[in-house]
Amino acid sequence: MEPEDDLCQNNWGGSSSSSSSKRREQVCFTSQHKWEDASILDYEMGMEEEPAFQENSNNNNGGQVNVDFLQGVRAQAWDPRTMLSNLSFMEEKIHELQDLVHLMVARNGQLQGRQEQLVAQQQQLITTDLTSIIIQLISTAGSLLPSVKHHNMSTAPGPFTGSALFPYPREANNLASQTLNNNTCEFDLPKPIVVEEEHEMKDEDDVEEGENLLPGSYEILQLEKEEILAPHTHFCTICGKGFKRDANLRMHMRGHGDEYKTPAALAKPNKEAVPGSEPMLIKRYSCPFPGCKRNKDHKKFQPLKTILCVKNHYKRTHCDKSFTCSRCHTKKFSVIADLKTHEKHCGKNKWLCSCGTTFSRKDKLFGHIALFQGHTPAIPLEETKPSAQKGSSACENSNNNNTGMVGFNLGSATNAIEEVAQPGFMDGKIRFEDSFSPLSFDTCNFGGFHEFPRPMFDDSESSFQMLISSACGFSPRNGGESVSNTSL
Amino acid sequence: MSHSILSALSEDLLVRVYGFLDPPCRKTWRLVSREFHRVDSLSRTSIRILRVEFLPALLFKHPNLSSLDLSVCPKLDDDAVLRIALDGAVSTSRLKSLNLSRATAVRARGLETLARLCRALERVDVSHCWAFGDREAAALSVAAGLRELKMDKCLSLSDVGLARIVVGCSKLNKISLKWCMEISDLGIDLLCKKCKDLKSLDVSYLKITNESVRSIALLPKLEVLEMVSCPLIDDAGLQYLENGSPSLKEIDVTRCDRVSSSSLISIVKGHPDLQHLKASHCISEISLSFLHNIKALKHLKTLWIDGARVSDSSLLTLSASCRALTELGVSRCVGVTDIGMMGLARNCSNLKALNLACCGFVTDAAISAVAQSCLNLESLQLESCHLITEKGLQSLGCYSKRLQELDLTDCDGVNDRGLEYISKCSNLLRLKLGLCANISDKGIFHIGSKCSKLLELDLYRCAGFGDDGLAAISRGCKSLNRLILSYCGELTDTGAEKIRQLEQLTHLELRGIKNITGTGLAAIARGCKKLAYLDLKQCENIDDSGFWALAYFSRNLRQINLCNCSVSDTALCMLMSNLSRVQDVDLVHLNRVTVEGFEFALRACCNRLKKLKLLAPLRFLLSSELLEVLHARGCRIRWD
Repeated sequence: MEPEDDLCQNNWGGSSSSSSSKRREQVCFTSQHKWEDASILDYEMGMEEEPAFQENSNNNNGGQVNVDFLQGVRAQAWDPRTMLSNLSFMEEKIHELQDLVHLMVARNGQLQGRQEQLVAQQQQLITTDLTSIIIQLISTAGSLLPSVKHHNMSTAPGPFTGSALFPYPREANNLASQTLNNNTCEFDLPKPIVVEEEHEMKDEDDVEEGENLLPGSYEILQLEKEEILAPHTHFCTICGKGFKRDANLRMHMRGHGDEYKTPAALAKPNKEAVPGSEPMLIKRYSCPFPGCKRNKDHKKFQPLKTILCVKNHYKRTHCDKSFTCSRCHTKKFSVIADLKTHEKHCGKNKWLCSCGTTFSRKDKLFGHIALFQGHTPAIPLEETKPSAQKGSSACENSNNNNTGMVGFNLGSATNAIEEVAQPGFMDGKIRFEDSFSPLSFDTCNFGGFHEFPRPMFDDSESSFQMLISSACGFSPRNGGESVSNTSL
Repeated sequence: MSHSILSALSEDLLVRVYGFLDPPCRKTWRLVSREFHRVDSLSRTSIRILRVEFLPALLFKHPNLSSLDLSVCPKLDDDAVLRIALDGAVSTSRLKSLNLSRATAVRARGLETLARLCRALERVDVSHCWAFGDREAAALSVAAGLRELKMDKCLSLSDVGLARIVVGCSKLNKISLKWCMEISDLGIDLLCKKCKDLKSLDVSYLKITNESVRSIALLPKLEVLEMVSCPLIDDAGLQYLENGSPSLKEIDVTRCDRVSSSSLISIVKGHPDLQHLKASHCISEISLSFLHNIKALKHLKTLWIDGARVSDSSLLTLSASCRALTELGVSRCVGVTDIGMMGLARNCSNLKALNLACCGFVTDAAISAVAQSCLNLESLQLESCHLITEKGLQSLGCYSKRLQELDLTDCDGVNDRGLEYISKCSNLLRLKLGLCANISDKGIFHIGSKCSKLLELDLYRCAGFGDDGLAAISRGCKSLNRLILSYCGELTDTGAEKIRQLEQLTHLELRGIKNITGTGLAAIARGCKKLAYLDLKQCENIDDSGFWALAYFSRNLRQINLCNCSVSDTALCMLMSNLSRVQDVDLVHLNRVTVEGFEFALRACCNRLKKLKLLAPLRFLLSSELLEVLHARGCRIRWD
């Protein structure tokens, strides 16, 4: 490690010394533009690579400034002056990097036969610088976001704060990597290291079910309850300030003196293992809660993968659910990230089971119903209320209805007689006569037509009998057959 | 018959005698004496009710009813049902079968009441209740013992409603979901998971995909699967059935556009006991491999391959192996000729039904061969077989003594001589002679004089015959219940006078007969008391006197088409208010009726209408209250 670091430093020093040459700067102006674009777009990569660059950034002269700047953002709200200084700082950094690349291009022509190690070193160096520029850019942008609260910024690492700025993270990422590759010849980006971030660990409990580690093939660690629930796990030995991540602690430590700025001090502790030693035993975690399946004394013990898993598991399973959804006021969570996920979808669950469970998707509800005996989908009330009222209870309504036009026709035969006496009915009758007056009934043979309001509502068979038989001379007919012939 | 002899018969003897009677005789039986009436009341198990007012009384009088048909009871609604429920004297606990088809005014509340009242309920028919939705389904699901459920054209039913029924009635073994357009794969999947006893399933016209077929294939007891016109199901879906549903006996994939013979082959392979294969209009050609596999079906009784290209040789091969075949549908099949039909006739002597519609190359020779070999032939469809002449019909008359149904629509070769031959098929029940322009009174006379059992006669656009022919029919075919005389321009009031003799007539079409006037219609109305369907479209010369008579006499009328009639405001109003069972009315182009007339007439009948056709401008001229009431009572209006 150390010889490599030296090499890097040498290179860096060389490049920074030539950074003042204005001519080169102007020549490469266009390419610099592209660089900026790339760094803007490449925020997500920065997120994924976070530990990588933090690890590497100890090679970087500007590292100190970077950290201070970050913490400055955390400590205070948006300030134009700070922003200006940040921007000019970044500009300087970009120019430096530009010069470095120039230098490398120039050298590459001369030193064809140089060993490949040096080339790799150079690439690493550029990556480191680039990522530090990116994180600064994003942090600066993040401080502009009015919606992001100060609190969130202090808890979440820098790159997250900027995420809302870019609607299409993946595409942006790809684009950025393409641009990078195009501009810097065989410039290889470090492969994204999977970081165990909080948002990625939400499904950790499920994910881990599939893991089949032999008992004894891993080291079991068990944290105490207090340790798990503590807001910070890493503390500064000098000032006592707590941090959630040890990388953040290391960044912080640099402010306490030059001795913490050495690559060795800033390197990730795990990686400090002596080269050539045996591969480290895999670490797995146990839940301190006795009787829990995740507790190492359980018969079917299933270990937890990381400390974060332990935290989430312990909070979810053995702690009170203190966060209540602000929308539905019923769902409670113990992990705040779970609450946020729920709040995103809360209110969209329109598929309801008779047991009270709601689903956002119909197929999920049907799957649930298929699984449980006696569960049925619930039918929301408001959908059908109007039709039910119209269809079945209109009779009751009509009694109160003074106009009577809607109501009286609904009255069935037995009600009809009652309704005759009602004022509502009278209204209806009057209107019916009015509407018919232009039809000149007097020409018709049956003068009694005006007097037959009843049949309109009561179709007992005899209603028209007399009228027609007198008018048309038909013989009285037999009573209508009410029961048809079909039987058996 | 003296009263004393009858009173000597004990009650159980009377019940036994009663058991041998057919329905019309039972009606007479009731009138003999009080005792007889009592026996009838106690023994009656099935009833169809036309007027809801009598429902409680009838239910009280017939305590042993097991089947109740309310499909022609237009005024049935939730309140009527609730009144029955409140009437303590009514016993409904033995009721097993309930027909609520088209009872659109019965909603969730009424259905739930009914389902709770009839504890032994096993069969329910709610087809064509377009307002039957999820709430109604939920109400019906109270009837946990339900075995059979018909829900055709319940347009508002969705997966949620089906799920309610499926969970509530897990003993279902027959369900029909035809035209329930909202049902999707999820509903079918749940149905198949929850109702493992399902034996018969109809998913015709649904927009379901292969996923549904995969679920259906898991039903262990399924015997009948109908999936007519499922446009999203293809071969990949039907493959699931090869190894699924082991007891499948009948499958209908008619008009499934994306199904080809390859998947049918796989079904046939998996079910060697298949008895009915209906694949009309989905396979384009009878391939050799398909034929080869069909040959293995020794129990095949029904095969429908309408619309496919069938060669004579394949028909020969087919008939040689499937000798049990009783029903064959090869209508619109290109390539069917006399050779194939003769081979078929030779081999499949058990054939009972043959559909040769639109097989233009079939001649008298084929018909003769079929008639001579297949003595059990009951149904023969020869629509648009233009080469058929009286020779073919002669052999039919000679040999096919069991023929019940004969369709000769649009056969130019049919003439009076041919009808004379046909009339020898004395068991004929249904005869269709539409568009046969060459027949006259003489031919019709033969039919009328000999085919006394005829139930249905279609003479659509047979312009050659007149009142005398109709007189013969009216004299001879007393049991006729369906008569189509549309566009028979020669008919006049004299003929209409004859129709009145057909007392059993329920369905009469008189479309476009200009010579019939009010007098004729009055005669028909007076004679045909059972008339339930009447089409008077474009009968322009019928005046109000005819409609008054109709209003007065035709109390059983359920459906009437009055388009282009010269009915007046008053007559329409009388019709609509007096025809207390009318459910379906077409009132387009009534030139003499004013908007007020429509408004008034519809108000008079709005509590029983189920279907209505009106001119589109009326939508804005009729009062909104009226339209609201119509809608609330479950009436569907088609604006023309």
